[in-house]
Amino acid sequence: MASLTIQHATKSFGGLEVLHGVDIQIADGEFVVLVGPSGCGKSTLLRLIAGLEDITQGEILIGDREVSHLHPKDRDIAMVFQSYALYPHMTVEENMGFSLRMRDVNLSERKDKVRASAEILGLTNLLGRYPRQLSGGQRQRVAMGRAIVRDPKVFLFDEPLSNLDAKLRVQMRSEIRELHKKLGTTIVYVTHDQIEAMTMADTIVVMRDGYVEQIGSPLDLYDRPANIFVGSFIGSPAMNMLEGRIGGDRQSFVSNRGTQIAFGAPVSPEADRKVILGIRPEDIGVSETGTPAMVRQVEPTGADLHVNLDLDGDGFTALFHERLPLEEGQNMGLKVLADQAHFFDPDSGKRIE
Amino acid sequence: MVRWQRGLWLFFLPSFGLLAVVLLWPLGYAIYLSFFDYYLGSDVRSFVGLGNYADLLTEGRLWNSMWTTILIAFGSVALEFIVGFALALALYRLHQSAKVFSVLLFLPHIVTPVVAALFLKWMLASNWGFIDATLLTFDIVPPDWLGDPIWAKISVILADAWVFTPLVMMVLYAALQGLDTSVVEAAQIDGANNWRVLRHIIVPALIPAIIFTISVRLMDVFRFFDIIYVLTGGGPGTATETITIYTYQLGFRMLEVGKASALGVITLIVVASLLLTINRVLNSIYRGGDQ
Repeated sequence: MASLTIQHATKSFGGLEVLHGVDIQIADGEFVVLVGPSGCGKSTLLRLIAGLEDITQGEILIGDREVSHLHPKDRDIAMVFQSYALYPHMTVEENMGFSLRMRDVNLSERKDKVRASAEILGLTNLLGRYPRQLSGGQRQRVAMGRAIVRDPKVFLFDEPLSNLDAKLRVQMRSEIRELHKKLGTTIVYVTHDQIEAMTMADTIVVMRDGYVEQIGSPLDLYDRPANIFVGSFIGSPAMNMLEGRIGGDRQSFVSNRGTQIAFGAPVSPEADRKVILGIRPEDIGVSETGTPAMVRQVEPTGADLHVNLDLDGDGFTALFHERLPLEEGQNMGLKVLADQAHFFDPDSGKRIE
Repeated sequence: MVRWQRGLWLFFLPSFGLLAVVLLWPLGYAIYLSFFDYYLGSDVRSFVGLGNYADLLTEGRLWNSMWTTILIAFGSVALEFIVGFALALALYRLHQSAKVFSVLLFLPHIVTPVVAALFLKWMLASNWGFIDATLLTFDIVPPDWLGDPIWAKISVILADAWVFTPLVMMVLYAALQGLDTSVVEAAQIDGANNWRVLRHIIVPALIPAIIFTISVRLMDVFRFFDIIYVLTGGGPGTATETITIYTYQLGFRMLEVGKASALGVITLIVVASLLLTINRVLNSIYRGGDQ
């Protein structure tokens, strides 16, 4: 186990810079999820940590040791790949024992360690099988077994659940959490799935276009997104955004299309300031005297009700936990509380405190 | 349903007909002729049973040509494989600029073997050939490349390797392109250095391509004729006389078609059993007998 420090990490491919001086401090035993859309640089950053790509500038430290330019084998890390990357011509036991074999651990110790890891992951019965004889979930578990067998300082996971079906993904999510609890090893986990990030992480790092947008706990990011991007990226369905200005009484908001939303209490931005209002679909309430909206579409998921609304031409999504008797074309009133409204600066995109 | 099945046979017939005409009929005819004492041009064909086989297997010239064939075959295939694999790995590492190199390296294989052999014959010609002339300028006395029994064998091996290494390189390079790079990266993270990645990950992953390449090349080199015919004609003496050269001598110089056919059948059996053995050995080494 060890902490992980990334200082001003920059990566260029030819003349194209894809990571622009990333700084992240990860504590010993922390579970950190790097999340962001495709092409945001999260996988590149993970590969820099692994040593699979050369860092262009900056430093990476595992514990107190600088590893920026070391070969992957000398960094004492283990990685689980999206494609599992199991050695197809080796049995599960040989796959799991490969790293020990490469470190010249003797056969009996190797067997003991592989068996111990196999037991943790429930793989004991599969040790004699080849990867092609395993299901997706089993392969995933073997890939994790291969990572834990050598007790590395840091685990790296590169979108490890993307190839699994939805049900198995939920199950493996909690298994990885359990594993982290049991082993306490520092984990850096890459995903583009914000639900995965929210449910698994101690700390989430949101990235976009090679920059870190925000670092914080899942609820921090959800409750206080630092900018428009984080606000709309974290949470599903996505946060509603409306451009407009704060009313003169600081208790209301008027959108560019003229929709008026009353908060019932003063909000933080000054009066008449141009803002972008962010409201999470689940923070919207129903009030007969509230902002009028028309129901465009009702999507019941069983547990919740997703309602697509029309606010004077602006699309808006609301999520209700009650089964409201709503019909398409119907008019209704919406209510938003002052402490549930998020405000962002239209020019910088940053949160207004 | 029955009609449908009959219809299927119709689709099968053209390819079967073609195979029968170009493959099965000549093969059957060769096997048939191998049981006769038959000289090309003569009207008499006397049945001798396994007589031709007995004659061939008891004479020294067959065994001599067999050993020569084996030596040249394994020598050239080993050389082609080692150099071809090394070049394929180098190209694999070169990435972008690889395309230019692969075209350049492939050039010898684009040339017809006979033309390549003629070209090499000029290169290797005594005293005034390019290689001799070059060596002589450095005061190195060159060996008689094509006139000395040992050097003639080496020259033939080098000539075959010169023409066919590019093929081996391209097949293995193509196979390397299909390699799952994350498996190689996983091995690096697991602590394998370059040599161990090659030995434990890359080579096992390439086994199907390696079996294919070695099999095709061995099959080919056992039928190796054109380059030797042009370079040495099987000489000096019988130093580079392979089975195919000997078969040619029997059939078209001595006109003993029956005996030549018997030698053809023997060659077929030797090559087929050799390939089966190699296939099994290579498979069992890397697949732990699982497949």
